[in-house]
Amino acid sequence: MTVVLKEEDLIKNGKRYDGRGFEDLREIKIKAGVFKQARGSAFVEWGKNKVFAAVYGPHEVFPKHLTNNYKALINARYIMTPFSGLEDHGRSGPNRRSIEISKVVKHVFENVVLTNLFPKTMIDVHMEVVQSDGGTRIASLTAASVALADAGIPMRDLVAGVSVGKVAGELVLDLDKYEDNLGSSDIPMVFAPRNGEILLYQMDGLLSKEELERAFDMGWKASKKIRELQEKALKEKYQAVFEEIESSPNDEKTGE
Amino acid sequence: MKMNLKNLVVPGALVSEKAYRGEGVYVEDGKTYSAVMGMVDSERLIPLKGQYFPKRGDYIIGVVKEEGFYGWMVDLNSPFEGKISARDTREKFKIGDVVSSKVFSVDEIGEALLSEPRRFWDGEVLEIEPVKVPRVIGKNASMISLIKQHAQSEIFVGQNGRLYLKGGNTALAVIAILKICREAHVSGLTDRMTAFLQHGGKE
Repeated sequence: MTVVLKEEDLIKNGKRYDGRGFEDLREIKIKAGVFKQARGSAFVEWGKNKVFAAVYGPHEVFPKHLTNNYKALINARYIMTPFSGLEDHGRSGPNRRSIEISKVVKHVFENVVLTNLFPKTMIDVHMEVVQSDGGTRIASLTAASVALADAGIPMRDLVAGVSVGKVAGELVLDLDKYEDNLGSSDIPMVFAPRNGEILLYQMDGLLSKEELERAFDMGWKASKKIRELQEKALKEKYQAVFEEIESSPNDEKTGE
Repeated sequence: MKMNLKNLVVPGALVSEKAYRGEGVYVEDGKTYSAVMGMVDSERLIPLKGQYFPKRGDYIIGVVKEEGFYGWMVDLNSPFEGKISARDTREKFKIGDVVSSKVFSVDEIGEALLSEPRRFWDGEVLEIEPVKVPRVIGKNASMISLIKQHAQSEIFVGQNGRLYLKGGNTALAVIAILKICREAHVSGLTDRMTAFLQHGGKE
């Protein structure tokens, strides 16, 4: 299937080409605790993006010479499966782009995880993109954040982010693959929603100062929504047990 | 303790307007926030997730994982390791041995020096989340004695989230302990466990 789109095609009659408004997010589903072996894990479905995240540790540092006697190291690994993209990705394995994303994710979590509690250790954060459709670094971060909380690693806040960009002269929230590729500007941003700390901010293309301020407002509002979804996903397991027990005593009474 | 779903929090939630130091919390601007998932009960956080931090005087169950000229390194089901000094004991350990021990001291990087090591020869070891240990033991050891009484087994609870079980109906004890871990955040745990054990482990 080949779709030839131009930037002007992406916005028509005040709507985006997939029917969303300018400030609409794609549909987001989050599930915590999807893997048994990992200490913590999460699965995020963000529009067509599908990302798995798994957390191991804190454990002994490998290679040993990297050991920090004062804090834990975060070892983030973002990777796309060879079949994840719409186009042929060829081979799997780390490339220039995935190494960059691994690095920015590492810096995000170094700022929220209470690493000083675990000297001489390392925390592995693995993110695997199974299907991609633009904004995978944000989706991966969302998944990784839930996985870290699921693993019980102490951190200051859950992190939540979104990308904002400029497509056909309009500021739009949560860009997908076409909007990202054809649009004129794109900013992934990640916040700690409790105190509004900016943890990640990368800009491609150009925006004026006013546009940037508006973009931040849009991103901030959206990241608070995403945090709520993360919170819901983490509580789900406990809620299920709670409801099961709340409903069972009545059954016992009728049974006896 | 009143357990309510409203009290269930994720990292970054306000626990108390006052600063206090404790498990699973951190202080910022004189206020206390949660760092892990947990239940808030009268401005205190009871963690539902977390790691074991060795503390002086704790009894733990470890697995010997390394041998050196100094003694043995012991896995504590924790980010930190324990060390048995060869000078403190006459016994010789092998890699894979399960030992119970007392934490003698903890240094600034969390490594624990262990004393009074004792090897287990038979029995079973169950691993649970370290934060659930207080619930498994219960107030004045009420919960663990309830299980011991029904299962008729010898149970030793390590503070690091490892349990040693021997003799009697260990299967029942294991099911009961896993049930406690699963349902620890819902109130009325003792009543449920009493009923559960009286029915011989059936719901």
